[in-house]
Amino acid sequence: MKRNGTKESRFTLWWAQWLNRRLPPAARVTLAHKSIFILPTGFGLFWIFLVLILFVFGTNYQNNLVIGLSILLLSLFNTCIIYSYRNLAGLTLNACASPQAYAGETLVFPVKLTSSQPQFEVLVNYPDNQIKVIKTIGEEPTVTLVPFDNLIRGRVSPGRLKIESRYPLGLCRAWSHVNLDNPHIVFAKPLVSHSQLKSIDADNQNITGDRGMHIPGVDEFKGLKQHIPGESLRQVAWKQLAQGRGMLSKEFQQPQGEPHWLIIEDLSSPDLEKQLSELTWAIDKMSGRGQVFGLVISRKKIPPAEGDVHRIHCLQELALLPQFVGGDS
Amino acid sequence: MTHSSQEEIISRHSLLWLLIVNIAVLAPLYDKLTPWSLGICGICLVWRFGIFIGKVAKPPRYLVTALAIASAITLALVTSEIGLLNGLINLLILGYALKYIEMRNRRDVRTVVLVGYFLIAITFIDQQSIFYAVNLTFVTGINTCVLVSLYREDVKLKETARIGFKLLLQSLPLAALLFLVLPRLPPLWMVPQQKSTQTGLSDEVSFGDITELTRSAALAFRAEFSMSPPSNQQLYWRALVMEDYDGSRWTQNSSIKDIEDNTPFTTSRRQQPEGSPIQYSVIAEPSNQHWLFGLDAAFSSDIGIINLPDYRLYSARTVDQKFQYHVDSYPQYAMDKTLDPTVRLLNLRLPDDINPRTFELAQSFKKDLPDPTTRLRAMMRYFTEQPYFYTLTPPRVGPQQIDDFLFENKAGFCVHYASAFTFMARASGLPARLVTGYQGGEFNQSAGYLSIYQYMAHAWTEVWIENRGWVRYDPTAMIAPERVLEGFDAYFQAQESYLLDSPFSPLRLREFPLLNELRLTLASIDYYWSVWVLGFDSSKQEQILQKLLGEVTQQKIAIFMLVSITFIGLVIAYSAGLIHFHRDKDRVASTYLHMCHLLEKKGVIRDKQQGPTDFCSIVEDAFPGIATDFRRFTHYYVALKYQPLSSHRRKKTVKLFSNQFRKLRLKILKGKTS
Repeated sequence: MKRNGTKESRFTLWWAQWLNRRLPPAARVTLAHKSIFILPTGFGLFWIFLVLILFVFGTNYQNNLVIGLSILLLSLFNTCIIYSYRNLAGLTLNACASPQAYAGETLVFPVKLTSSQPQFEVLVNYPDNQIKVIKTIGEEPTVTLVPFDNLIRGRVSPGRLKIESRYPLGLCRAWSHVNLDNPHIVFAKPLVSHSQLKSIDADNQNITGDRGMHIPGVDEFKGLKQHIPGESLRQVAWKQLAQGRGMLSKEFQQPQGEPHWLIIEDLSSPDLEKQLSELTWAIDKMSGRGQVFGLVISRKKIPPAEGDVHRIHCLQELALLPQFVGGDS
Repeated sequence: MTHSSQEEIISRHSLLWLLIVNIAVLAPLYDKLTPWSLGICGICLVWRFGIFIGKVAKPPRYLVTALAIASAITLALVTSEIGLLNGLINLLILGYALKYIEMRNRRDVRTVVLVGYFLIAITFIDQQSIFYAVNLTFVTGINTCVLVSLYREDVKLKETARIGFKLLLQSLPLAALLFLVLPRLPPLWMVPQQKSTQTGLSDEVSFGDITELTRSAALAFRAEFSMSPPSNQQLYWRALVMEDYDGSRWTQNSSIKDIEDNTPFTTSRRQQPEGSPIQYSVIAEPSNQHWLFGLDAAFSSDIGIINLPDYRLYSARTVDQKFQYHVDSYPQYAMDKTLDPTVRLLNLRLPDDINPRTFELAQSFKKDLPDPTTRLRAMMRYFTEQPYFYTLTPPRVGPQQIDDFLFENKAGFCVHYASAFTFMARASGLPARLVTGYQGGEFNQSAGYLSIYQYMAHAWTEVWIENRGWVRYDPTAMIAPERVLEGFDAYFQAQESYLLDSPFSPLRLREFPLLNELRLTLASIDYYWSVWVLGFDSSKQEQILQKLLGEVTQQKIAIFMLVSITFIGLVIAYSAGLIHFHRDKDRVASTYLHMCHLLEKKGVIRDKQQGPTDFCSIVEDAFPGIATDFRRFTHYYVALKYQPLSSHRRKKTVKLFSNQFRKLRLKILKGKTS
């Protein structure tokens, strides 16, 4: 993505390194004089221009009140510098766990903001991404979801979060670039496919069977569900009822047939990405149906299981596989 | 990006502020607006209000453009009538009003705010009283609130106002400091001036002219003397010298007029007289005229003042705002010891066949008294010997004006007496001229200055006498000596026409001593305002800095500024909540230690390493009488020391903690421990 060798990129690199030294990545950052930058905005420059014009105007008409007004506006600018700083100083940013996301989607990075003094109209965004406006930040934590457009799978770091404020008069822009050290594992983009799924023992079997499925039964405890009047009283969870959690029924199920295996063997195949996408789709599909499945990646084997934790585990394993490096690039 | 679309929206809160600021900025400019500018401004305001309450849509852009172009063209056409500066001001005001209805995004709001500040500055061109300064500072605050409202959209009007005005007030100290220190420069280039009605004296005088002025209680100028001011009868403020007389009116001679008209190319023409001067400074009120005021042979070395050959002072620019200048006057100095023959002829010239009876009278004086001084004294005496009296409402005169006045009506005021006397002097062969200006002044005891009002306008005569130069003769003083000795007010209290046009003038309060005191106090405040704020110049600056710093050097000023700015910055930062003093925490710790000390006296010693909870259980065992109280006390202490509390909770807990401390101390001191 970056052009190498040009002066601009060398500067960008130097800037990034400098920032890393000054503002090292951390999950919790409190802004202070070391991390806040302030410069006048375009409007601020116009303001200074107006101050100059009024000064000349007052001088030419030998009018002390006009000169006074121009000086007052200059002083107001000075006051605003202090207030601009105040509007970010002491702001604490906490990175929170991000929700699951697939490549090609807009990721959201939740950031918890607190400040000991009220701060207003703070804008946060990742470079080249949508800006979030937070009207007020106070002692009560505010969680804001900062969007980040992302195309790739794997461990994605959103980079430095930009926090900006022009409060109170828009004369100065106070800002900071904070790395919250919150990389997120992005799953591969799901791709609909039925043909690529293989199982370890039977090559030509279709997944559209009952294999790996659970049917309602009596063998394994599955969980609790709302009791429906008319159901057997033997299944009522009396203990939970005594705890005051309401009338619930125990559900049982039993596995049907052998678990399903999802396999990816050749990690150097050119259509690796496609395979990963299809597997991602398949995992979601099977997990949605409550099927039991296992995953085989080259020599690594994830034993069959079911449930959301298993699904996420499998998807993460797929997401973190190294990118295919072909001979042509 | 959505942010840019968010940028577009102007919140209702800002719209309300814009409505307020529009009225606040334009109201003080009412006298600058031409009627149709006022009309357009009104329409825009009503339209804006309609948009605000949701009854009308935004006007289409082409309509606004068309209106703007039409306004500009119309303005260009009337500019010659109202003057260039007024034309430009009207254009700016119209731009302000039109921008105001077609505002679409925040950027437009910012533009409107910047133009608003500029319009406030324009208001200051004409209006410089304290009242306007305070009022316009307030408007500046409102204009600032508009900007704040862009960033605080969801709060009440009061909250925005609080922030805006807080910012402004916190900026005032630094502004005052910079006002004091920043260099004052002379005008950088010529600027267009207001076309305004002229007030005060006129450059021609005929019977009946000055009565207009005696009805006005407006301030003409003020004077502050470095020593005590001369007595009232010395206070003849010369403004104009009239040498041409056509039988009905006195006018300035064209040679002087030429000098006056070409001031940009003339420099001071005469040398400063020698001798010990009376030094004073004059603050002239705006008159939109050029002439200034000085006593006797006046000289000023200030920039922008021309010392005219007839010993008057003349301002290079029209006095369109308060103007302060320093004067040295030389009462002993003989004006024009030798008289140029042409000037002599000029001051002897009289129109043919006019006022024959007066001419005859003058001739008889000449024949009887060849010595000019005695002759003039006799002429002056003539006015007291005959039954002349002073009135501001004299009877009408015919074409032989002076004859009618001297021999028929025998009633008139200063212009009548001065013209008659000048006429007689000329007719008797003595060069004479009419001088107009002001006579007297009201002394303000507390602030130590003289106020000269328009109704103190006066006319008198100057006669040229061998070896003595131009000598002042005031025939009016012969008729109404009190007027000159004690001032105009002493004489005219009962006259009906006096201050006729000013029924509500504060000068009328003179009859009530307490109110008069108040009037004089207000006048003093206004005076200090004029001198120290409006008239603040490089010499005043030097004076103040010298008082503050001793000898003024660049380094001293730099250090002074640095210290002051740092101090002001710290104060602002503190009030903004950036600097915390952790007194609170320390107080908690010291209170706890105090408690430990009290218990130590009772025999329970806390080990330095012991935590508060451990210590608590020891105390509970030793003093069961205070066990519960001490446990609570420890609980608060632990909470304050180790728990992150919100500031509100913290305050509450600190209060509980100190209450508990007091309760415990009382118990321990009373010995209720077991």
